[in-house]
Amino acid sequence: MRVSSMLSGRWTVFGFALLALMLWFVQPAEARKKKEILIGTNLPLTGILAGVGIEQRWAYQTAVDDVNKAGGIWVKEVGKRMPVRLVVADDASDPGKAAAAVERLIKVKKVDLLLGGFAAPFGVIPGCITAEKYRRYYHTSICLIPPWLEHNFKWSTLFFFDLGQACSVPYEIWNSLPAAERPKKPALIMEDTFDGRAFAGIFRGLAEKYGYTFALDEPWAVGAKDYSAQIIKAKSQGVDAILIFGSDADCITFVRQMKENDLNVKYMHGWKGTWAGEFWKALGKDAEYILCDGFWSMDFPFPGAKELGERYHQKFNKYSVSAGAVYALCQVLWDAIEKAGTLDSAKVRQAVLDNEFNTVMGKVDYDERGVATFVSTASQWRNGKQMTVSPFEWTDYKIKLAPPWNAR
Amino acid sequence: MEESERMRPKPSTPILLSALLLLGAAALYPFFVNVEESYAIYFLFLTFVHVGLAQGWNLVAGYSGQASLGQHAFFGVGAYLTAMTWKAGWTGYLDPLAMLLSGAGAAVLAILVGIPLLAKLRGDYFALGTLGLGEILRVIFTQGGELTGGPVGLLLPSSAYQSMRPYYYLALLIAVAAVIAVWLIVRSRVGLALVAVREDEGAAAANGIHVLKYKIVAFAVGALFTALCGSLYAYYLFHIHPTGFFSLNWALMPVLMTILGGIGTVVGPVIGAFLLTGVFELANMWLPEIHPIISGTFIILVTLFLPRGVMGIGTRFDVRPRWRKALAIG
Repeated sequence: MRVSSMLSGRWTVFGFALLALMLWFVQPAEARKKKEILIGTNLPLTGILAGVGIEQRWAYQTAVDDVNKAGGIWVKEVGKRMPVRLVVADDASDPGKAAAAVERLIKVKKVDLLLGGFAAPFGVIPGCITAEKYRRYYHTSICLIPPWLEHNFKWSTLFFFDLGQACSVPYEIWNSLPAAERPKKPALIMEDTFDGRAFAGIFRGLAEKYGYTFALDEPWAVGAKDYSAQIIKAKSQGVDAILIFGSDADCITFVRQMKENDLNVKYMHGWKGTWAGEFWKALGKDAEYILCDGFWSMDFPFPGAKELGERYHQKFNKYSVSAGAVYALCQVLWDAIEKAGTLDSAKVRQAVLDNEFNTVMGKVDYDERGVATFVSTASQWRNGKQMTVSPFEWTDYKIKLAPPWNAR
Repeated sequence: MEESERMRPKPSTPILLSALLLLGAAALYPFFVNVEESYAIYFLFLTFVHVGLAQGWNLVAGYSGQASLGQHAFFGVGAYLTAMTWKAGWTGYLDPLAMLLSGAGAAVLAILVGIPLLAKLRGDYFALGTLGLGEILRVIFTQGGELTGGPVGLLLPSSAYQSMRPYYYLALLIAVAAVIAVWLIVRSRVGLALVAVREDEGAAAANGIHVLKYKIVAFAVGALFTALCGSLYAYYLFHIHPTGFFSLNWALMPVLMTILGGIGTVVGPVIGAFLLTGVFELANMWLPEIHPIISGTFIILVTLFLPRGVMGIGTRFDVRPRWRKALAIG
């Protein structure tokens, strides 16, 4: 008797709570007079990608502040210039939560258009899929092109580098060196993940084309903490150059263990894990001579690039090789909204496809698939700054080969 | 007396009426909102998935006393089986056959793994063993080559998506089926045997209960419901990725929800799933940068002040006069 009456009481309370929750959700969103353009984005503010999420958020917010300072965006349909407001949802570096974040942005925050998250499997692809379901334009970057194309998305566009071009960068740099200085026994150490495998396949294919053979070709596990097996193997093989793809934490550990084991290579080039300011902060002078990939450089000869780089440095006391790509994404979107004259997703996307845009990344031009590419860069750490090495035509800096650890 | 009643709730008219009322409201709800624009539909879909997961864990831990930390293994297996059969052309989009195959496959895996694990390990060791299972499977699926898509995972044709409505109803069906299954099991001889095993394995065995058999039954049924949730979630995300689907989150969420609602009760996991999903979603919505702090604080407070979960509120704050309590117990 007691248990059943207690349970029924609980059920009633639970039922009322559930109904109240439903009613709360059912309430129509307050009829909002269009006063501002709401741009939503799912970013990794927590989780393993939180570091890059903060940088990406800064770049988005800076672009929003800049366009608002200029008076907003002219929307013909509304007949006035409108300010932009950025609405950020945390995707916690998790694909399921990225989908949930985009659901919230569309259904609760009622955003007009969406800017992309970070990394294909964690934020971008789930974001694109969710946006596709609700036919909301998802304007994105930071995602490899092949997996994005596989979905044949109709409501998103992608601005990223071509994998073949990115993987040819180290070979181009090597071939620019005098023959005697070119690596003879390079090693390929690629993280055993989504992106790592994609990079590894292209690197292998291109090595033959450029006339190089890997003395060591091994995948490495994420967060393994001890890479001495690979390092000792590299040392015994006489490896003189390393191409490495991995997280910043793993790359930091790897370099520390390289030094401890006295593995000397004259050329070390990292993807993903060696570009962050944290890489330099953690390793200090040991990061000298190491190269990193990047999407952008403040040294690019495009209007606004230098100023953006300086503002980033002022804010974070470090340099960025990616903020420009994210900022340019916004520049394209603001321009496309103005050209479309509306906030309608289909029309804004069409305006993106139909026009060329001038940005801090240079000219951006999308193809009919919805893809625009930019050049993947290479920079070398010198006194805490990434010096642009490639593309050669946009830099005067010449690469310095690394001396042995005991000669630094 | 009180404990056994808590474990084996008797059906009563108010409970059944309340349950039917809520079920009816949930079933009719999509007819009163714009399904494609309503966030509540997504919220309820997610909550129903969580109910299925929590109820699966509740059966294993709450009734048979085996605290599994490997539910993410079954969630991932369910998702991958659904994706692989669809990719192979054997099943299609939102195919009940694929979902049932995924559930059955995970149940078989639970039996195969459960025999050595449940026979040899108990308590913390069993929890660690199941935790290892999830990690092993994550690596296997990451290294699975073309069959599993390797670290890239399996991309499913997202153009198949038509509406949120079927997702909502399938999730509701899984949640209701899980609640009914647990309720029926708990009220059956199997449930009695499970509780006996949980309370004292030695005594249960001495009374002729086949301890291993009943533990495996609970483990397999829990795996089945967990895999059904994984299967449906795979259809929702369209990208089955080893890191995402074998994430430890899928093991920890049902644990938190069940403990929060009331472990070893039929209604507890339902309440826990609603509460925790609600808290997580609201915190995420309004405090995107610090939501883990809010959610974490909420969990700490509940475990501190309501160690028996929400279902324990009645016993903790029972304000009836003593003479009525005495009569009720009597």
